Amino acid sequence: MNVEINDLTRRFGRTRAVDGVDLRTGPGVLGLLGPNGAGKTSLLRMIATVIPPSSGTLRLLERDPGAAGPRREIRRRLGYLPQDLGYYPGFTVVDFVEYFALLKEVPPARVPAAVAAAVERVGLGDKAKSKLRTLSGGMLRRAGIAQAIVNDPELLLFDEPTAGLDPEQRVEFRTLLRDLGTRATVVVSTHLVEDVGAACGEVVLMHQGRIAFQGTPEQLTARGEGHGTGDAPLERGYSAVLAEARS
Amino acid sequence: MGAAGGRALRRGAAVRLVRLHLLSRQVPGALLALVGCGIALRCVLLLHWVVGDGAAAQQTPLLIEAAAASVVAVAARNPFGESERSTGRWLPYLRVGSALALTGAVVGLLAAGAAGAHLPGGCWELLRSVAGLTGIGLLSAAALGGAVSWVGPLAYTVVAEFALAAAWRTPWIWVTRPGHDTGAGLFVVLVLLAGVVLIALRGPRD
Repeated sequence: MNVEINDLTRRFGRTRAVDGVDLRTGPGVLGLLGPNGAGKTSLLRMIATVIPPSSGTLRLLERDPGAAGPRREIRRRLGYLPQDLGYYPGFTVVDFVEYFALLKEVPPARVPAAVAAAVERVGLGDKAKSKLRTLSGGMLRRAGIAQAIVNDPELLLFDEPTAGLDPEQRVEFRTLLRDLGTRATVVVSTHLVEDVGAACGEVVLMHQGRIAFQGTPEQLTARGEGHGTGDAPLERGYSAVLAEARS
Repeated sequence: MGAAGGRALRRGAAVRLVRLHLLSRQVPGALLALVGCGIALRCVLLLHWVVGDGAAAQQTPLLIEAAAASVVAVAARNPFGESERSTGRWLPYLRVGSALALTGAVVGLLAAGAAGAHLPGGCWELLRSVAGLTGIGLLSAAALGGAVSWVGPLAYTVVAEFALAAAWRTPWIWVTRPGHDTGAGLFVVLVLLAGVVLIALRGPRD
């Protein structure tokens, strides 16, 4: 198991953003669904080793991120695209991706090829020498995806990766997700139910910091039969589970 | 590839990483601003706005030192946010290296600005003041965020200016103590150390 979470809780003041979550997952694509404030981003930030849990245990890539040495090892093998991607506007796409390759200790001899491959995989090959300040929101998002995958990570975390992407780019991104999921554990937090249906083998639906549903997209769809609201079967499953959690 | 080739490759990667880190922190711009601080100090001293060694004479250089320390603190900000914070072991070293290198540049440029002119307290008090104000700036960056880290040195300077005018003699306000004062020196070392350790381990607040 690349991610093992037991009774994980994260508090911000008196608010429990994540409340007693248990989760285990290996290679494949896991979709993290839920309304705003459900705790998806807080859970992802803990898995990204950016914030520590308030209580509970977390093991990533069979290591304890609470200890400095294992945490360093996890970070070398981790890719993370946060919700708010920060960047230095004076960098080119290659500078940006190369900086992260070097920070993540990609072997120096492999850096140029790894950077070129990551930039090509997100479809920014023709913009490789462009400054980030000249890119559109969707292109910046793709540059962010490139920095996350440049070290060929075993654990990949995407927070709202398709925000700002046009429909064609979203379809391409789902293909990339499926490909990445054949080797790595990919956790994708999203509001877009159709992204989960198209790319994820497993789905977790969060509500008020807790897991309200865990299973396959087909199982979530089945929960919506005869219930819920929404245009697509998966949306009906999503709204049916949420309605049940709220009642 | 031989061992020498491997070493050259690693050295090249290290140089590239440092260069990209410094660029992302806008260190070239920060150095220009620090040159401006050195020139400002030179002008102040040449135009004889600073006379004697009393409290009043320390007030204008203190303002320039605070401005220079603010430049160092603001350069500590992280433009990449959490994607950078979730990376490997080099980040703390890069943060500390750039903060200390810029602090050294402040001392060098301000000392060059004061060369051949009379600076109250001399270079030793300059070094002490820059180190202390930079420590406060780094603490401020860790607590408030890099972009507003100038608030710390500015707030300290306002208190220090008042302390100089009111002839206070506390080690917490080191400018009110002579250069050889142990308590003030110790306080400055602790503040700088705390700032450097915090910025290395936690980084600036996003």
